[in-house]
Amino acid sequence: MMPLRTYGLLLTALLVLSFGVAAELQPQFTSWRGSRADGDVFKVLLGDSRKLFANEFFVKADSYYHSGFYPSIFDNNEAFKTAHMAEDTGAVNSRNHGEEESFMGPPRNWIDAFGRHFLPDRHTHLDTGGASDDLSSSDEVREILPWLKLSTDLDPQNVQNYTVTAYWLRERMHKTEAAHEVLLEGLQENPGSCDILFELGRLYAESEHDTNRAINVWNAAIRNWRPVEGSEDTVAANNFIYEKIATELGDTECNAGNWQQGVDWFEKAKSVSRTPEALTELINEARQHLPALASAPAGSAQ
Amino acid sequence: MAPILKTEDLRVEYRSREMRRATKVALRGLNLEVNAGEVFGFLGPNGAGKTTTMNVLLGFVQPSGGSASLFGIDVRQPIARQRIGYLPELTYYYKFLTAEELLRFYATIFGLSRSETDLRIDRLMKLVELEHARKRPIRTYSKGMQQRVGLAQALINNPDLLILDEPTSGLDPLGRMKVREIIQRLKHEGKTVFFSSHELGEVETVCDRVAIINQGELKVVGRVDEIKKPEHANLEQAFLEIIGFQPEVVA
Amino acid sequence: MRNIVAVAGVVIKELYRRKDFYVLFIVTILICLVMASVNIFNDDKIVRYLKELCLLLVWVSSLVIAITTAARQIPAERENRTLLPLLAKPLSRVQLLLGKFFGCWIACGLTLLCFYAFFGALASSREHHWPLLNYFQAAALHWFMLGIIVAMALLGSLIFAAPSSNSTICFVVIGGILLVGRHLDKFALPMPEPARSVVLSIYYALPHLEFFDTRDLIIHDWPLIHWKYFGYAIIYALSYIAVFLTGASLAFRRQAVN
Repeated sequence: MMPLRTYGLLLTALLVLSFGVAAELQPQFTSWRGSRADGDVFKVLLGDSRKLFANEFFVKADSYYHSGFYPSIFDNNEAFKTAHMAEDTGAVNSRNHGEEESFMGPPRNWIDAFGRHFLPDRHTHLDTGGASDDLSSSDEVREILPWLKLSTDLDPQNVQNYTVTAYWLRERMHKTEAAHEVLLEGLQENPGSCDILFELGRLYAESEHDTNRAINVWNAAIRNWRPVEGSEDTVAANNFIYEKIATELGDTECNAGNWQQGVDWFEKAKSVSRTPEALTELINEARQHLPALASAPAGSAQ
Repeated sequence: MAPILKTEDLRVEYRSREMRRATKVALRGLNLEVNAGEVFGFLGPNGAGKTTTMNVLLGFVQPSGGSASLFGIDVRQPIARQRIGYLPELTYYYKFLTAEELLRFYATIFGLSRSETDLRIDRLMKLVELEHARKRPIRTYSKGMQQRVGLAQALINNPDLLILDEPTSGLDPLGRMKVREIIQRLKHEGKTVFFSSHELGEVETVCDRVAIINQGELKVVGRVDEIKKPEHANLEQAFLEIIGFQPEVVA
Repeated sequence: MRNIVAVAGVVIKELYRRKDFYVLFIVTILICLVMASVNIFNDDKIVRYLKELCLLLVWVSSLVIAITTAARQIPAERENRTLLPLLAKPLSRVQLLLGKFFGCWIACGLTLLCFYAFFGALASSREHHWPLLNYFQAAALHWFMLGIIVAMALLGSLIFAAPSSNSTICFVVIGGILLVGRHLDKFALPMPEPARSVVLSIYYALPHLEFFDTRDLIIHDWPLIHWKYFGYAIIYALSYIAVFLTGASLAFRRQAVN
């Protein structure tokens, strides 16, 4: 049996050895490509799988937007392909089809029918009162924010997190400053993002009533926009944001009395639009204010 | 007077789950009677069927044939156990309860009133010398203390029949003496004691009658002096002869 | 009745003298308090994520307590040899089983009271209102669901040799029912026979525990469940409890306990 002092000395020696080895290996580990130690806690713990969680939390936010009335992975989710909380911001191309109420279908048997009494059973949105249908509580949309924040932290490259968060912060909760910070954070992670710049412009125009600043930001967004190739949905989403930016610029120019510039922007928007009829109407309306071109048909101004 | 413990042609067979192995017969037609007020020793080598007999009497095991009754009531009825006390060989009780809580719990099952329960707990704690530890959890007790708790719970309902499975097993000489004293006292009170034991010296001292069982069959039952022949120095020699043990002859 | 109450009392004492409940309760409180301290855009009225997290922890904790407590009752008595002196008393096996069931169930009910009281305090600290009837419905349905689970675990403890395997099987079965039980009939539809009939039989036979999961209604402030359907759910739960306990008493009736 060794004396206590010997154990103490052995322990000290082991500790010194451990620290020495760690100090020796530290520079090599820092320069190692597989190192995740410099990342945030989510990156360290989850790696790339954090994006899966981010998507789940984004869907969770939409589920909260519906006060829990939401399809599971086993239900028909054709009417929920695009999150309604994003769709309602007016800045996202919707891929939804069918009726929201009918994702569960009619009751299949008595068990299904009985079980529905213990679930949320109506389609509601939080910004219109939620389950209580109380319009005075339309700022209940705040409840989606924790999930959006979590989704943002896990996947900072998903720009929709920033734009949706910012929209609801300023639109229903009147927290323009917070919305501004969110968008700037988004731009830091996604420099030049057209979606974020568009939303930022809307913030300047609608909340701060600073039209000039809005125009500058939207012009920056247009300059950054590039056509993309890929799936139909990807191309449509990319074109949609161009259409929205161009339409806003057109509206702003028309409101400022710059009808020709307005028409030009509307024409650009129409070139990528899937629903050009509405834009044709806007062009015709704007043209009426142009004395020289009041009688010319729409589409010939190019 | 009717016997208070009776078995008639009691058979217990354990069917083996393996096809190749035969059914094990633990008891072969056991006929046993114990009368009121006697101290009855139930003897046999290991695996003879003593514990199986007790398990049937206490309702732990269903017999394959025959019948068993306590106070004239079939042992399969819970009410048959209203007037009995049982001390198992290995005493384990709820470790999270105190001795007092344990006795109170068992007293409730016997239907004793609160005042009667309080009285009996005080008396029993004195008897088994656990007054100082009655409010401590049983998990803090030594083995000897747990055995004394076992004795107390066996006596909580002031039973007319006490069934003891090797009551002195694992006890020191002082503990064995105390158990003997308790058995003697119960006898003087007119209680019946039915117990199994390997301590033949003690059995010889306290028992009125004994039964010897071997390989599931009852070999002999009667008073100790009836079983012992003149050539037997003690009960142990008689026991060995009855179970068919032949000592090795040293050349 | 007296015997059943006595056995139930011992079970409740056991649960409160073990550390399981306290550990789970403290962990729940700590996690909820930490999450409540998170600043989300300087808005202190955001409450639903907190309610969901708290209720999730309450559900997980209650399932752990219910299953582990019920699954070890009879096997632990057998292993510790406390069953023998107990059954040597004028106590029938059915009474023992019922005592164990009610003990576990009432113990679960008492833990639920503590958990839901904390949940109510946490929610009302932000919402500033107490929908007591809604909480009552949720807690009551939750409790009756735990009754089904306790009865199921007790039956399992008499069929499976080891408490650990019984607990594992119970967790898997209950998790499966809560996650996909409602949708089994959808899975069955495209299947060929006889698989379709088998899956449909399972769908109709298994206890639909999702009837008792009203967390979404509480989290999102939906109105009360109609009392008629609440009553039907209670009757449904009692039916399954009776079925499982009957099975358990049949299994236990002739089992050797030595």
